[in-house]
Amino acid sequence: MARVQLDDVVKRYDDVTAVDNMNLEIRDGEFVVLVGPSGCGKSTTMETVAGLTHPTSGTVNIGDREVTRLPPKDRGISMVFQNIALFPHMDVYDNISFGLRLREYEKAEIDERVERAASVVQMEGMLDRMPDAMSGGQRQRVAIARAIVREPEVFLMDEPLANLDAKLRVTMRTELQRLHKELDTTIIYVTHNQAEAMTMADRIAVLNAGHLQQIDPPLVCYNEPSNLFVAGFIGSPSMNFARGEVTNDGYRSVNGHLGIEFDPMDAGVQPDQSVTLGVRPEDVYPVADAESADEPSDPVAVTSDVLEPMGDEIFVYLLTNPDADVDLEDQNADNQLLMSVSPDSDIEADEEMDVVFDRSKIHLFDGDSGDAIVHGITNLSTGAGSGTAEAEGDD
Amino acid sequence: MTTSQEDPTVAGSFDERELERGPIQEWVNRAIEDPERAYRAMFYVAMLFFMVTTLFPFYWLLVVAVTPGSSYALVPAGVDLSAFGSVFERIDFLRYMFNSLFLATVTTVFVLLLASLAGYVFGRLEFPGRQPLMLLILAISYFPPAAFFLPLYRLFTGNVFPWLELYNTPGSMVLPFSSLFMPLSIFILTTFYGQIPDGLEDAARVEGTTRLGALFRVIIPLSAPGVATAGVLTFIAVYNEFFFSFLMTDGGAGDWAPIVGGLIQLQRAGQFEVTFSVMAAGSIIAVLPVTILVVVAQEKIVSGLTSGALKE
Amino acid sequence: MATEHETETLPGEGGGVYASFIRWMENLSETQFAYFLLTPALLLLGAIAFWPLLSTFRLSLFADAITGTSTVGEFVGIQNYLAVLTGERNALLPAPFIPTSLSVKAIFGSALTVTLIFTIASVFFETIIGFGQALVLDQDFRGRRWARVVIIIPWAVPIVIQGMIFYLFFAPGIGPFVGEGPLSLQQAGILSDSPLQTTIDAAMITIVADIWKTTAFMALLILAGLQSVNRDLYDVARVSGASTWQRFKLITLPIVLPTVLVAMLFRTIQAMRVYGIIEASGVGCSTLPSLSCLVVTSFFGGTRLVGTAATVAFLTAAFIGLVVTVYIIGYAREEGA
Repeated sequence: MARVQLDDVVKRYDDVTAVDNMNLEIRDGEFVVLVGPSGCGKSTTMETVAGLTHPTSGTVNIGDREVTRLPPKDRGISMVFQNIALFPHMDVYDNISFGLRLREYEKAEIDERVERAASVVQMEGMLDRMPDAMSGGQRQRVAIARAIVREPEVFLMDEPLANLDAKLRVTMRTELQRLHKELDTTIIYVTHNQAEAMTMADRIAVLNAGHLQQIDPPLVCYNEPSNLFVAGFIGSPSMNFARGEVTNDGYRSVNGHLGIEFDPMDAGVQPDQSVTLGVRPEDVYPVADAESADEPSDPVAVTSDVLEPMGDEIFVYLLTNPDADVDLEDQNADNQLLMSVSPDSDIEADEEMDVVFDRSKIHLFDGDSGDAIVHGITNLSTGAGSGTAEAEGDD
Repeated sequence: MTTSQEDPTVAGSFDERELERGPIQEWVNRAIEDPERAYRAMFYVAMLFFMVTTLFPFYWLLVVAVTPGSSYALVPAGVDLSAFGSVFERIDFLRYMFNSLFLATVTTVFVLLLASLAGYVFGRLEFPGRQPLMLLILAISYFPPAAFFLPLYRLFTGNVFPWLELYNTPGSMVLPFSSLFMPLSIFILTTFYGQIPDGLEDAARVEGTTRLGALFRVIIPLSAPGVATAGVLTFIAVYNEFFFSFLMTDGGAGDWAPIVGGLIQLQRAGQFEVTFSVMAAGSIIAVLPVTILVVVAQEKIVSGLTSGALKE
Repeated sequence: MATEHETETLPGEGGGVYASFIRWMENLSETQFAYFLLTPALLLLGAIAFWPLLSTFRLSLFADAITGTSTVGEFVGIQNYLAVLTGERNALLPAPFIPTSLSVKAIFGSALTVTLIFTIASVFFETIIGFGQALVLDQDFRGRRWARVVIIIPWAVPIVIQGMIFYLFFAPGIGPFVGEGPLSLQQAGILSDSPLQTTIDAAMITIVADIWKTTAFMALLILAGLQSVNRDLYDVARVSGASTWQRFKLITLPIVLPTVLVAMLFRTIQAMRVYGIIEASGVGCSTLPSLSCLVVTSFFGGTRLVGTAATVAFLTAAFIGLVVTVYIIGYAREEGA
């Protein structure tokens, strides 16, 4: 067990900067998930920790040692790879014991450790199987056993579940959580699947374009995203965004379809400042259900467009102005909203209706930098500064 | 010619032909009605033709080797195996054989060692200059041995560096063999290494090997079939080589000359010194190692030749 | 569970030079590591392939030093090439480079033309026979494995033994094709009294020998091409009523043609280097002066024509390069079509 610390790590390939000025501190025994779209630098970051790649500049520490220039074998780490990477010419026993045999452990100790690792991943009795005679899930478990058998200080997992089918992925997810509880080892886990990130992580590190965007517990990332990117990346379906600007008494979207009233001074914004409003689909309610919102906003007139019943909820696509010739591709304009409603809702397509937002779940982001300005505008005074929902009707 | 026996119409017509005892005319008529029959017949004729033309020269060698006396006919007048013994008396045939096998083995080991590293690099690593370097290495195989020969001859006879005289030693042949046959091995191994799943080196390094350790413990064992293929082809190529084998030694058994030297010596001695039977017997003995290799490793030879040639 | 102790080192890393070498290697970038692994191969190829090539080229730019002790005379630029190509040097050479007249004897007696005749004839017949063998081997029949072994064996026969076999066919008074027998080609008027010492006969014999030995290479490559044809295509053709011949002409041939061209290219390159079979069959370079022969004989001949030998060697390479270019253009056209 050890903490892992990256200081000012930069990795450049020719003219591409894969990782830019990464500062990351992972605590002892913590389960940290690196997420981000492909090409965001999460795998490169992990390879830097593993020693498979050397950073262009910056340092990597594992425990209280600097390991920046150490080869992988001397770092006290083990790793599970996306493509599983079992040695095809070795049976399960040889695969699991590979690292121990390299270190010339006693035969008895190797046997004992392999037995134990195999039982942790429930692969006892299959030690003489060859990799090509096993299912994907079994192979992945062997790969995990190979990683835990050396009892490393840090466990690196690079999209270990990516090549498994959906059902197996969920099973393995819980197994990995159980494993983490059992071993209490520091785990760094890379994925682009945010469900994995949300369910397993102690903290999520969101990366984009080589930069660390935010590192926080899952719910903090969800409820208080530090910028537009995190807000859009975490949560499925994605948050609704609407560009607009601050007026004297609140926010107004680009085409004027959406407006929220509040006192700009209290929200820490200036009138005329360009901002983006964000609200998650589950924080949008039909006006009839307005009481479900902690603090409903003024109603917005919309027309329902397409319905997507998911079973446990229905996604309703809403058009703020069905007559306008709008560009639905421009996701950040105010033309379209996504609303999630309960499955017993009787909303139909092409229905004119009013919806409200939960003001306590509204996010404002700076229009230029995309950084979050405020999460929830519940306790902000409206134009008159009363700070209550009733005051909304004031002007 | 593109049908197979699984095709019921072909198999059926073939069976009928077996039963057919009628006049030729009738068969021809049937063949015209059913062209597949004609094709099947053509297949057997062609097959027979290829087998006979391919094997006849070997048969003739055998005939000459066992014919007693000096009048040779298609069917030998008798069987006299004494020529097989004479070969070893007339010249140091054993030493020539040893030289040939030694040169082929040493070259093969040397080529496999270097080509394994190079094939690994070309098959699995991305680096600037990869494509031009591969083309440069490929270009070597376009040049005739004669284009390398003059400077190498002068080098090995000590005309370039007085301290470097390799003429009449294994080095004068192993070095040119290695560099001329290595490109093929590099390309075969590049193909094989490229087919091994990605990331195994990373896994091995994380588990505790060095970079070279990952290559030798994981990648090379996995590419064993490719290494064997390259090895068989290199061995046969060296064993068959004529140009440098003939020109880089004086041809004596003690000069490390391979069987080329031995057989040429027998041939040049003329039939009054050495009978044709002895020459044929020597050839038969010398051809045995590669024949065995072909029978044992034909799959490897076929895959190596086709992948080596068609990938390039 | 106990953790791995961090000071633990792997066995065999006592320290010292070896350990620091390992450390150095582990810290190389991928590109550096690639070139590090290539070093041995590149060193060998540099010394034993690239240096000789460049050196041969350099020698070809110097005059022959017929007298004296130096290897070559003064620098003459492309003079050697001009002299050899125009036939001006013919008289000095052991055999003419280009024919001195248009008579059959002169054409077969000069290096460039006899090499071209040898190459064209052997590659032509090898392609046809190789195609035939490939079609036979492409069938399913019992003993196919052994048929393939039989066809491959000549390819694996050492050149010196190939030569010996044909020597034992045509040496005076021995083979079935010479002398008085029913198969005698001399009786039939095809071969002269001493075929191995008669240029045209010797050319025919070496061509046959080359076809016998190397058709297998052609056959194997074409077979690989045949087996890459998607079998479903034949079913499609059969359903639409194509005959066997039509299936061959419309499906097999176009798909296999690129492979055939590649195989012909390889064989052409090899055939243009012909040397071994000429020496090993007892014909000898004086009877059949191929380009490679000419390099060797002018180098070892009584007059040391080192510059000229180098010129001929490089001209051989140049002609091969020319042929390669023609094939590549043909191949590109075939691929484009």
